[in-house]
Amino acid sequence: MEVFLTTLKAVIDSLGATVVLPIIIFFVGLVLGAKPGKAFRAGITIGIAFIGINLVIGLMWGSLSDVAQAMVTNWNITRDIVDVGWPAAAAIAFGSDVGLWVIPIAILVNLVLLVFKVTKTLNIDIWNYWHFAFLGGMVYMVTNNLTYGLVAAGIASALALFLADWTAKAVQSFYNLPGISIPHLTTAPGVPFAIITNWILDRIPGVKDWNVDSDTIQKRFGVFGEPIVLGLVIGLALGALGYYNAESAAVKILQTGINLAAVMLLLPRMVQILMEGLIPISEAARDFMKKRASDREIYIGLDSAILIGNPAAISSSLLLVPIAILLSIILPGNRVILFADLAVIPFVVALFAPLMKGNIFRMIVAGTLELAVGFYIATAMSPLFTAAALNAGFAMPEGASNITSIADGFIWPQVLFTKLAEMFGIVGIVATAGILAVVWFLFSKNTKAWEVAAGAPAEKK
Amino acid sequence: MDTPKRVLVACGTGIATSTVVAKAIEESLKERGLNVMISQCKISEVRSLAGNADLIITTTPAPKDLGVPVIQTIAFLTGIGKEEVIEEIVKALES
Repeated sequence: MEVFLTTLKAVIDSLGATVVLPIIIFFVGLVLGAKPGKAFRAGITIGIAFIGINLVIGLMWGSLSDVAQAMVTNWNITRDIVDVGWPAAAAIAFGSDVGLWVIPIAILVNLVLLVFKVTKTLNIDIWNYWHFAFLGGMVYMVTNNLTYGLVAAGIASALALFLADWTAKAVQSFYNLPGISIPHLTTAPGVPFAIITNWILDRIPGVKDWNVDSDTIQKRFGVFGEPIVLGLVIGLALGALGYYNAESAAVKILQTGINLAAVMLLLPRMVQILMEGLIPISEAARDFMKKRASDREIYIGLDSAILIGNPAAISSSLLLVPIAILLSIILPGNRVILFADLAVIPFVVALFAPLMKGNIFRMIVAGTLELAVGFYIATAMSPLFTAAALNAGFAMPEGASNITSIADGFIWPQVLFTKLAEMFGIVGIVATAGILAVVWFLFSKNTKAWEVAAGAPAEKK
Repeated sequence: MDTPKRVLVACGTGIATSTVVAKAIEESLKERGLNVMISQCKISEVRSLAGNADLIITTTPAPKDLGVPVIQTIAFLTGIGKEEVIEEIVKALES
């Protein structure tokens, strides 16, 4: 296996993700039953998307790296880990050596777990398989063993299914989405933070009744939800901090502002192309899996994007944007400069809502807690993140900063996966799977109580 | 139907699920000979962009007071009940 993979890897490395991914997508599409013409166009579209993403990342990297270095010189604050955002993270994950195989692996894991009635979720959200590739890619980077990385990606896909099963009833009742679950590895890992926050706040008299009005927030802070304005403002602010004493300061500041505003618009557009290319594949995969899944009750696993419109999710994340920026400045030891993923905060909080009954104040507290922990995770993990980007063939300027993103650079499962693999090798990976299996077993023994703990209504069946 | 109707598709990211919906709508409306202009956005931008649209389709809850008809659906993601939603969209566009 390892020899085969190594040889294959050598070929893949010399061609690069922009060539290899289209070919692989084409064959994956065919195997899943997509029409050859569609699979072919899907493959090419994905290759094009990669080239586009690479261009925009180059622009962002250049602007942010320069200004970050200028800030270090001026203020002696080290914020040299650049948040390149989930669009870049997804591209890196799919473009990594693990990413090339993640779709068939995750489909296989899902079908096996369905057949053996371990999970109820059929994860048709192929796009978000990138999270599994991301975790697998991290393990690959830390162990230097591709097989380990692929196994880790498989475990990650199982973790997503578990979290989806666990939170399904809460999602279905709170968001009124019968038959849906959310196997999304940015959103679902937040649930423990919400549980802890609730537990603490319930014990503080007075505070436990606090809430915030959603409409007021949306009116006052609506601008934090508009990426290009946010990009411009952050660009100008960073530019001012970095270049106020530079030669032709005004020009540099204004250019940083418009460059970062451009990134906020262009990066998502490029990823949209990637998504467009994946549609025929994900539709073929959906039909392929549905045909093979048994006909007992199953949940359809979807992207947490469908939850984000909830007023509590929107409002709490609007307020979390300035809080996150503040945290990035005041947290001692943090080296992350937030940028592209300020737009992703709704995903972090979306699954808090059922548990907190849409209480915005509580969602903000839990979000602050998760983000604060996230800064340290991201700071520690950024060398791996950066190595994964290089592995995926993304061009980095000489002497550039390390990179991260809130999704999934801030999220805890990567610590579990990489630390165990780093310390114990294959034993660590098996242990990761073992921990998941034990937790899943406990869940299956006491499903009702676990579901209620995640925010499902207690009385209803 | 001279000027094409403008359809705005919104989701949490303006990228992932909204692209799936936008492509599906584009295809099935073309089959029916309906000419539409489709654009995508994040749900947080929907309020400032609603004025430029004749119909808004979202995969996630949207405000009710936008002054434009809103259809919320996940049928294009799950593949269940797709036809009914397309009928609903056609009806909304023709009225």
